[in-house]
Amino acid sequence: MSRELTGFYRSLAEDTDPRGLAAPDLVRRYADRRARTRTAVGVLAVAALVGGTAVGAQFVLAAAPDSRVGPPADTPASPSPSPAPPSTPPTPSATSPGPVGSASRQPTSTPPSRGGSPPAARTPTSIPDSAFFALAAANDHGAGARFVAGPVLPALCGAEPGAGGTVRQRARSLTFWLAGTPEGNVPDGHYRHSITSYRNGRAADALDELREAVRNCPEQQIGSVTSRQKLLPSGGYGDDSVLFEMRKPLLDANDEPTGDEELRLIRAIRVGNVVTVLWEQGWEGSSSPKAQVDADSRRAVAAIRDWLR
Amino acid sequence: MGMRDAQSFDEFYRSTSARTLRYGHAVAGDHGEAQDLVQEAYARAWRQWGALATHPAPEAWLRLVVSRLATDRFRRLRGWRTAVSRTGPPEDVRPPGEDTVLLVGALRQLPANQRQALALHYLFDMPVEAIARETRVPTGTVKSWLSRGRARLAELLPGNSSEELEVNDVA
Repeated sequence: MSRELTGFYRSLAEDTDPRGLAAPDLVRRYADRRARTRTAVGVLAVAALVGGTAVGAQFVLAAAPDSRVGPPADTPASPSPSPAPPSTPPTPSATSPGPVGSASRQPTSTPPSRGGSPPAARTPTSIPDSAFFALAAANDHGAGARFVAGPVLPALCGAEPGAGGTVRQRARSLTFWLAGTPEGNVPDGHYRHSITSYRNGRAADALDELREAVRNCPEQQIGSVTSRQKLLPSGGYGDDSVLFEMRKPLLDANDEPTGDEELRLIRAIRVGNVVTVLWEQGWEGSSSPKAQVDADSRRAVAAIRDWLR
Repeated sequence: MGMRDAQSFDEFYRSTSARTLRYGHAVAGDHGEAQDLVQEAYARAWRQWGALATHPAPEAWLRLVVSRLATDRFRRLRGWRTAVSRTGPPEDVRPPGEDTVLLVGALRQLPANQRQALALHYLFDMPVEAIARETRVPTGTVKSWLSRGRARLAELLPGNSSEELEVNDVA
């Protein structure tokens, strides 16, 4: 080893003054504060990426005809080639006497292909803030919610369940704390929470498509790791619901496996012609707390029922 | 993620941050940038302290974050300058010695992986095998980084003949 070079490095070490470093509690506080901001920014960044692409267009401008899950080929034509703007309801709302009447009055809309949706379910053409549940006081440290565009479901091997037959969609990002987490602590998780209204009958199709997409995607590559998907029993939420999990190795900041696993829970619930999705995305790799997701699923259903009443 | 114990993190920070800052200085080639890099690395460590507290080599983990941040640096790191304001009267900081100024100036002209290998070797006295483990490359690659780095520094530093350095190329 060069004696000279050693001397140069010794000089550098001596001239490196650690007094300029912030105190550790300041570093912690800054890291936590920034983590809160980061999530909001991250969601916005995703929205910017997605905006204008097929995903955004499909979900938001869903009034366009959809051949994929649409009516049979011999359905009366004129499937409204002029794209309806998102504010134009493609189906009549509460006055519709029922699925059959609805179909006859609105030949371009899909007749119900199955008996799953309740008769006379109304298709909302706008979704107010009040349709979105409020967190329980114990879970709310005042972070608020942000309505942003972007995907409402995680990747499922490229499938796009529930993309057809939509009328309106709104989605928000919502941060929560578990009951008992002290004030000032980082959140325990956050939701991507969406509400989508569908043309008559298509909400039930959306849930079926989601079940099928999860079944057809037991494994997928996400970044450098393999994510495994599985349907879980989900009863007692809304008219119908789908719960599934995603599991993947938890990576650290250097993208090294920590040996732990990250569990995400995603639940889609149908209430009439409306589907709400709670996609728990965790906080810095925290796994989804099932009891919390269940409780918030119930709140989500209650808020939608109040809205549709 | 497990519980994060602030006290153990603070102890870890106090006992290792001066060393990590020296490393950051030698890798980034700038004292101020090194402060930002090191604080950013510790901030990331805190965010996963639940898992990292039981890591077999948390300091090596930190150095890896510092190295990556130094090579893939974003301007946002400057946020540390204002976010973690160094309040109070300026410390009575001694200006860097001439050797430091010269070394830092030369280091800035070396590729990041050579700076990294040289810093681990000269600041931490690490043998080639240990540097290879930490940087996750074969030992031959480390030898090459050290050899080229020394040769280049020999050209750039005054009074440092390359012959003298090449004789002791690989420790």
